[in-house]
Amino acid sequence: MNPEVTLRVNGRRYELQVRPDRLLLDVLRDELRLTGARRGCETGYCGACTVLLDGQAVHACCLLAVRAGGREIQTIEGLASNGKLHPLQRAFIEEGAVQCGYCTPGMILSAKALLDENPAPGPEEIRQGISGNLCRCTGYVKIIRAIQTVAQAKGGGRP
Amino acid sequence: MSVTGGVGQRIPRIDAEAMVTGKVCYAVDLQVPGMLVGKIVRSRVPHGRIVRVDTSRAEQMPGVRAVITGLDMPDRKIGLALRDATIVARHKVRYVGEPVAAVAAVDERTAEEAAEAIDVVIEELPAVFDPVEGAQPKAPVIHEELGSYGHSTFMARHYNPIPGTNIAHHYWYRRGDVEAAYREAALVHEETFRIQPVHHGYMEPHVAVANVEPYGRVYLWSNTQRPFEVRKLVAEMFGWPEGRVRLTITKIGGGFGGKITPWLEPIAVALSARAGAPVKITLTRAEDFVTCRRQGGRVRVKSGVAQDGTLLAREVEIHWDSGAFSDLGVSVSTLAAISSPGPYRIPNVKVNSYLVYTNKVVAVPYRGLGVPEVMWAAESHMDSLAHRLGLDPIDIRMKNLAEEGDVAPWGEVFHSIGVKECLRRVKEVRERRRQEGDGRGWGVAVMHKFSTPGTMSEAVIRMNSDGTLLLLSGAPPIGQGCETSLAQIAAEGVGVPVSQITVVAGDTDATPFDAGTFSSRVCFHSGNAVLQAAREVRRRALELAGELLEARPEDLEIANGEIYVQGAPDRKTTMAEVARVSHMSQGAPIIGVGAFRGGGSFKFDPDTGLSGRAAAHWEYGAVLVKVDVDRETGKIDLRQVIGAHDVGKAINPLTVEGQIEGAALMGIGAALYEEMVFDGGSLVNPNFMDYLIPSALEAPDTEPILVETPHGEGPFGAKGIGEGPIIAIAPAIGNAVYDATGVRIRELPLTPERVLNALEAQA
Repeated sequence: MNPEVTLRVNGRRYELQVRPDRLLLDVLRDELRLTGARRGCETGYCGACTVLLDGQAVHACCLLAVRAGGREIQTIEGLASNGKLHPLQRAFIEEGAVQCGYCTPGMILSAKALLDENPAPGPEEIRQGISGNLCRCTGYVKIIRAIQTVAQAKGGGRP
Repeated sequence: MSVTGGVGQRIPRIDAEAMVTGKVCYAVDLQVPGMLVGKIVRSRVPHGRIVRVDTSRAEQMPGVRAVITGLDMPDRKIGLALRDATIVARHKVRYVGEPVAAVAAVDERTAEEAAEAIDVVIEELPAVFDPVEGAQPKAPVIHEELGSYGHSTFMARHYNPIPGTNIAHHYWYRRGDVEAAYREAALVHEETFRIQPVHHGYMEPHVAVANVEPYGRVYLWSNTQRPFEVRKLVAEMFGWPEGRVRLTITKIGGGFGGKITPWLEPIAVALSARAGAPVKITLTRAEDFVTCRRQGGRVRVKSGVAQDGTLLAREVEIHWDSGAFSDLGVSVSTLAAISSPGPYRIPNVKVNSYLVYTNKVVAVPYRGLGVPEVMWAAESHMDSLAHRLGLDPIDIRMKNLAEEGDVAPWGEVFHSIGVKECLRRVKEVRERRRQEGDGRGWGVAVMHKFSTPGTMSEAVIRMNSDGTLLLLSGAPPIGQGCETSLAQIAAEGVGVPVSQITVVAGDTDATPFDAGTFSSRVCFHSGNAVLQAAREVRRRALELAGELLEARPEDLEIANGEIYVQGAPDRKTTMAEVARVSHMSQGAPIIGVGAFRGGGSFKFDPDTGLSGRAAAHWEYGAVLVKVDVDRETGKIDLRQVIGAHDVGKAINPLTVEGQIEGAALMGIGAALYEEMVFDGGSLVNPNFMDYLIPSALEAPDTEPILVETPHGEGPFGAKGIGEGPIIAIAPAIGNAVYDATGVRIRELPLTPERVLNALEAQA
């Protein structure tokens, strides 16, 4: 008998029976069909699987689902509210920060975690904040710019 | 009359909203009811004879639905050019990681356990890992049947394997007399360069899903860059008419050339046929690393130069490290060899290019198709020549760079060649910065990049009953944003806002043929086909509107979806009304069809190897970089990259910049950090912890400069931009290291260790 786990994802409660060795990423994708978090490696280095756990960016491919029980999980699907995109999502669109899009959800969530903690990061802090998320398409130029525009709109973004 | 979101406008990607909300279906997300999980069993031996593949234990495991070995696959070799590849090894293995069997089971864990239960016995043979050694007459032969392989038709009869050796293809050309020119030259200088194998590092793994209906269709879903080519190869392999197979692409999480050859699709098909259920194969990252890579190899380059820097002669000899099969190597090794002297005026040229099999992961197309390798050599060498003659590296290039109408080293006439303008633009930056006191550590390199000749694109634009348009294109968007640029071309061609256009891409049942997304061809080829289709839609719409407005079509104008009589804007109708009438009253829906075949061919003069035209179009550019080198640690600090690129016409400057910025960092990865390290044929770093793809911390300040030298055959003058911006990065960095330290490093990547060794040798 698999243990019962309560996952709180994007403000909803899910009661699930989860095998103890199941990864949070697999439960999100296979059980809850939240596919915005993606597998890019299996080793926690690419960041495509990034979700927010109590506001912190974590690699869902390296976290057992049972360990996330009772904690607040946010995925990319929960970022827009009432059909209104989050400022980071808008900035990524407008600045051209999206190419193949595979890394985009994880990248946006890492950026959100960064801005929630430090509303006015400089470019080096932004680089540091997203350094756990690999993007092979963009060269990060427009991603960094997109995050800067949101930081600046919040009154931050010192050069 | 400009349209909203038309050509030349810097608009956001039309699919970006779905991307930032995560609501996109990549191949990894595919679910088909009743789907099984497929797993591949791989060789642990680089070269050997298969003695036994014992599947009996696996077959008896509960939950296992199908097990296949190479002998269960059709006995037909496949390949994008030379048909030399087995998808599952039959009697021989040729690299570590080569599939030898596969299973399908009810879940991942069962499939993994079954794969492990398969007993593979292989008798090892002597192996070859280096292309130069592999080309020697006494090297162990990897393909005994080389002389009997068939080939695709797209390269006409341009195949020159040397049976009995590991040379899958030898291409050469000669112009003038290099030996005579060397005797006249003030300086004759020769250097040898090496390029390491690197991996594409796309973020989404290879995935294929197959559902074989026993008496019906064969459904395939995958993240391939060339759906029509894959459909053709799968149909050919299994002996089916192409139309039986439907291949639908998903959203593709990056490709860069790595997702072309159908390595997985035939395995998924064979498993599905045997299991009687859909099968999905998703590669692990470690498996992706042994599925594709860039060629690399060795390039020897020798030049004769006059005292004033004028190039008199150049010889290039290339040994490509092809790996176990040749894949598209015949094309790559030919066209990159053609490009190898650089975009210069050189009257005497001699080029030899050898595509050599080795017992390593198969080399496949990789952003730049071999040109990054040859330009690393040619453009590093160009700096060596400048320094030996006491010339400025930019001046020696300016002196020799070709212009419109000049004859290229390989025989064709240069057209739409904005390379000098690109170099002028980066020179301005360097001069300004030097005046500001930034003295040393500047490096420059130029580049050109062919788009593969003689490839085909078709497009269809259908008017919906509300006047909006459906654009059908067979070219898969792989992240570069072609759904947006093609929609912009369509919008401009018809005269409607881009918001009126929905793009359907890469479904062999729904879209017309397209050779696919590779070789910077989509904007140029598919763009031309789309423009033709759009003009047909416009012509038909104006004809019909003319009837409605009782005016001559030539007196009508379309602006943002409205059609009006020129000079009498009150006499107007809408696209919606035109659509309604065409569909409902006339029963003649408006459909535009376009087709475009790119120029050039694989025909070469039999005596000289020269080409009348080797490419559909050429990209040009110049890159300037600034580095600081730490003499204590050998670490290169890449401060800035300025990339000036001639795009013909920027259909969407925002996405063009994205290509330049992204390709620059990919080039930086291959120049400074990335290397697939093999130990006896085994890849020792098949993961992102040990294989170092640049993160945001490694991304320098990058400034794209767009130069527009219209191409006579491009849609609105546009050319490709997908590959060019990667090419000059490595030599520009190497040249900057020389400028900073006075040491020339001829082997990639430029690791701190190599830099330190070179500095020590200098001291």
